[in-house]
Amino acid sequence: MILELDGVTVTFTAGPPLRRIHLNAMKHVSLAVAEGETLGLVGESGSGKTTTSRVALGLQRPTSGTVRFDGRPFPKRRRELAGRMQAVLQHPHWSLNPRMRVGQSVAEPLTVLGRPAGDAVTEMLEHVGLEASFAGRYPHELSGGQRQRVSIARALVTRPAFIVFDEAVSALDVSVQVQILNLIKDLQAEYGFSALFISHDLGAVRYVADRIAVMRSGEVVETADTETFYTAPAHEYSKQLLEAL
Amino acid sequence: MKKLDRLTVGGLACLAVLVVFALGSLVGAGGDPDAIVGPRLQPPGPGWWLGTDNLGRSVLPRVMEGVGTTLLLSSVAVLVTAAVSATFGIVAGYRGGYLNELVMRLVEVLYSFPAIVLAILVAAVLGPGQTAALASIVLVTIPLMTRLVRAAAVAVSQRDYVTSAVISGARLPRVLGRHVLPNVAGTIAVQGTYALSVGIAVEGGLSFLGFGVQPPQASLGVLIQQGGTYMIAAPWLILGPGVVLVAAILAINVVGDGLRDRLEPRETRSLT
Repeated sequence: MILELDGVTVTFTAGPPLRRIHLNAMKHVSLAVAEGETLGLVGESGSGKTTTSRVALGLQRPTSGTVRFDGRPFPKRRRELAGRMQAVLQHPHWSLNPRMRVGQSVAEPLTVLGRPAGDAVTEMLEHVGLEASFAGRYPHELSGGQRQRVSIARALVTRPAFIVFDEAVSALDVSVQVQILNLIKDLQAEYGFSALFISHDLGAVRYVADRIAVMRSGEVVETADTETFYTAPAHEYSKQLLEAL
Repeated sequence: MKKLDRLTVGGLACLAVLVVFALGSLVGAGGDPDAIVGPRLQPPGPGWWLGTDNLGRSVLPRVMEGVGTTLLLSSVAVLVTAAVSATFGIVAGYRGGYLNELVMRLVEVLYSFPAIVLAILVAAVLGPGQTAALASIVLVTIPLMTRLVRAAAVAVSQRDYVTSAVISGARLPRVLGRHVLPNVAGTIAVQGTYALSVGIAVEGGLSFLGFGVQPPQASLGVLIQQGGTYMIAAPWLILGPGVVLVAAILAINVVGDGLRDRLEPRETRSLT
C-alpha cells in the first residue's frame, strides 16, 4: 500500500471559547491506495473530499487516526516526502504562478530539492503534449487545458510515487476534460504512479479510477471496484448519486 | 504592453519637471538659495523670478531646494515604509494565526491616530528636525500599506501555485519570496505612490508647524510657513511653494491611479 488512512478524524473549531463550534470534516475515514492504483473519491460539496486530500498530502494533521505513506508512519516534517508525492489542483487559473515562466514552474519541484533540471523540463512538457517552446511562455498565454497539462508536468517531474488530482478536470470544458483524462491514464501506464482522483463528477471518475470511495458529510459510506460500483451500488446514497448522473 | 492614458503621462511629466527642478538646485541653477540678491519682499521680476523674501533672498532657488528636500525625505520614508509593510504584511497574511492578530492590532493602534497628531507626537519625542519628519511619514503611512499588503497576501496565499510549491517541499523563504512577494508587488507599488503623496503632505504640515525641517534649510513646508507671515504684503512667497506642493501631490496621485489600473486587476483575465 502506498497510502493508508486509518480511522482518520479531522475536527475544525471556530468561534469564541464558550460557543465554540466543532465541525467534523472527516469522521473515522479509512482508505487505502495500492501501488499503481487509482482510487476515485466522489461526494458532494462539503463532504470532506478536499480535507481528505489535504491529509493525504500532509498539509492537514489529523485530529486522531494514523496516516501511513509507503508503509511508514507520516514523518513529522513533510519535507522528507518532498518529490515523492505531488498534486494537481483545482483551478487552472491559479495553478501556475503568473510571474514565473512555464519552464520555471515545471522545474520548481526539482529546484527546491536542489536537483539540476537539465532536459527534464522540455522532456516533461513533450510528454504532456506541449512543445518545448512553452517553457519560455507565461501562464496568461496558455489556455485552461494547456495550464492543466503544465500542472501535470510539474507534478510528474520528480517521478513521484503518488499524485493527488483534486478536481483536476472540473473547471475545464468537456472535450478538454476527455483529453486530460486520457493523458492522465497514458502517463499512469508509463510512469506507474498511484493516484487519488477526487471529483464530484462521477463520469470523469469512472473513466480513470480502479476503485471508488464515496464520501458523505465526512464519512466514507462505500468503497467498491469501479465496475461493481457503477453496476450495483450497495449504499443508498451511492444509488442516489448514480441516479442523478 | 498597454499604452498609458494621457492623464498618467501628464502626471509623470509633471513629476519629471519637479525632479529636474530639484536636481537643478544641486548644481546651482537658479542661484544660491541663501544669498541676498536684492531688496526685501520684492514682487517677481528680472533677477528674482518668484520675488524675494523678507531677507531679500530670491524665492526661486529656495523653492527648488525645498522641492528637493521634500521629495527626498518623502521618498526615503516611503522606501522604509514599503520594506517594513511588505515584510510584516506578507508574513502576517501568509501565516495567519496569532502573528497576524498581533500585527493587525498594532497597525490598528497606529491607524487610530490622526496623521498630524501622530507626527507631532513623534516630533515631541525625537525633537524637531528631519529625523522626526522622516519617522512621522513612516508611521503615518505604515498602517494602510501593511493592511493592504496583508489583504493581498491572504488572497495570494490561498492560490494553488502556493499550495503546489508547499507540496513540492519549498521552504518558507522561497514560498514568500518567489510566489507571494512578486504577486503582491503591484499593490506595494501602487500604495507606495499614494504613500509618497501622503508623505509630502505630512512633511509640509509638520514643517509648517515648525516640528519638521528646520530653517535655514528649505522645504516646501518651511517656505509656506515663512511666507504665511507676509501673505497679504507678499503673496508670491506662499504662492510659489504652495503651487508646487499641490502639483506634486496631484501628479503623484494621478500616476498612482494609472499604475493601479495597469497593475492590479490585470492578473484575472476575464473568464477561463
